[in-house]
Amino acid sequence: MTRRSFLRTSTVLATGAAAIAAGLAPLRKIGHYSSVEEFLQKQYKELSPAEMKVVLTRIEGEVERQYGIRPHVRDYKPMSGVQFVYALNLSRCVGCRKCVHACVAENNQSRNPEIQYIRVVKLPNDGSFDLESGDVNYTPKSVPEAGFFYMPIQCHQCHNPPCVTVCPVKATWQEADGITVIDYNWCIGCRYCEAACPYFARRFNFATPSIPKEQINPKMSYLGNRPRYKGVMEKCHFCIQRTREGRYPACVEVCPTGSRKFGNILDPDSEVSYILKNKRVFVLKEELGTHPRFFYYFDI
Amino acid sequence: METERKTQVVLAVLTMGFAALAINFVRVPARAGVEKRAPLILPGSLAIVPGTIRVSAAQLVASGGDASGLQCYACHDAKKPPEIRYDANHRVVLPKEHLDLIYGMRNCSECHTPDEGVKIEYNADGVVIIPDAHRNLAHMAHGRYLRNEDCFNCHVSTQLDHLHTPEGLVVGLDQATQLCAGCHGTQYRDWESGAHGRRNGYWKSSAGPTVRQECTSCHDPHAPAFTPLIPMPAPHSLHDPRRNPS
Repeated sequence: MTRRSFLRTSTVLATGAAAIAAGLAPLRKIGHYSSVEEFLQKQYKELSPAEMKVVLTRIEGEVERQYGIRPHVRDYKPMSGVQFVYALNLSRCVGCRKCVHACVAENNQSRNPEIQYIRVVKLPNDGSFDLESGDVNYTPKSVPEAGFFYMPIQCHQCHNPPCVTVCPVKATWQEADGITVIDYNWCIGCRYCEAACPYFARRFNFATPSIPKEQINPKMSYLGNRPRYKGVMEKCHFCIQRTREGRYPACVEVCPTGSRKFGNILDPDSEVSYILKNKRVFVLKEELGTHPRFFYYFDI
Repeated sequence: METERKTQVVLAVLTMGFAALAINFVRVPARAGVEKRAPLILPGSLAIVPGTIRVSAAQLVASGGDASGLQCYACHDAKKPPEIRYDANHRVVLPKEHLDLIYGMRNCSECHTPDEGVKIEYNADGVVIIPDAHRNLAHMAHGRYLRNEDCFNCHVSTQLDHLHTPEGLVVGLDQATQLCAGCHGTQYRDWESGAHGRRNGYWKSSAGPTVRQECTSCHDPHAPAFTPLIPMPAPHSLHDPRRNPS
């Protein structure tokens, strides 16, 4: 090899390597891929039980590194013979927002920027039922206020979910018990589902979520309340880590007026079965054909 | 012709019938506001100790705690406070004359001890000063139009820590729900099946206990309407100055 050819070859190689490095540089800014394993992880439904175990251990490590607390992450599976249904008594709700904040605490939602799954809409009690005239930012000294009623809105866990249809990568789907879930590791953050949801139930992590260490709920589920990444969608999942163990969701537990009802619609003795049989029930935006599993009812 | 007459007769009868109805409607006087305080429970059905009940706790509250109407001074000297005696179980020994009085039916030793030396205080006019702790014995706000302000509608008059249902069943305070059901049947039905009131714990009974909250877990039986709550903070956006002052 002559000196000339050596210099030429090495210059070309160095330039090429630099060009490739420069081309790949944006990849370094992808925040949440902490490892090759995470980058190469399969979609939730394709993971074998052994692979899932590895994934859960890895996520526990990630959470511990980020938040300084060792969580217990599990993959809760749907129970057989269970279809979840939610009912909310509009005659009783006083709009105290305790459900909103119990949900945030249970489900490790980002505190800053703030992400909340439940919005409580204050509506004038004039018979118009006009959601456009609703107010979610009400701050009176005490609730309820005369002349208004309150309508909490969260994910309706539709039987025919438009958000699932539009997802281009199948990162969100409906489980056997009716809960629509998101694989946070598979979501690409295109926000199509947010646009498709007629109830504004989906939230997007525009920034890296921040949760104080002492406020982390260490009992986590893969499809539920484990901390989310920047750039992924999230939404209410009926507290999958509680309800798939047979417990009530956090919002039901905390409601001081007993407005919130939850249970298995396939069980004829459950409270939701009674409500659907005996109460005046309606669903929001019925005309869209989404068939929500979330019902509103009255005491009359 | 025959048919025509028949029709006329039928029409005439109908017209008269309607006219009579109309007159009846006009003659019935319109209801003016709330009529009368109807007793919720028939007076005869209550086992009130026969005696000399002069004033009910509700009347006492209505008078602003003024005990002057109690006529204590008919027997007592305003300047000479009576002595309070206790038995072996530290229960106040009540004079026979007081057995029928409201305060006489409470177990005073729940709060007072024998060696405490309860003193009755009098104001400048010689009127007994009722302590604050005694005033809220019954802050009654149960039912509209103050129709349900009589203690013995619910409490057994001889044992205030027991309740009697409209059917005459005597139950403890922890079984108040049975008593509530006597009047609030629809709510009780909804509560039984889970549509009314809180349920905590497990929706799946095979996984763990479902805790049914009783009526009195959420409602104050003396003032069952919910008091207003302070709402939790409203949501704020990413650029809200409250969260990001910079």
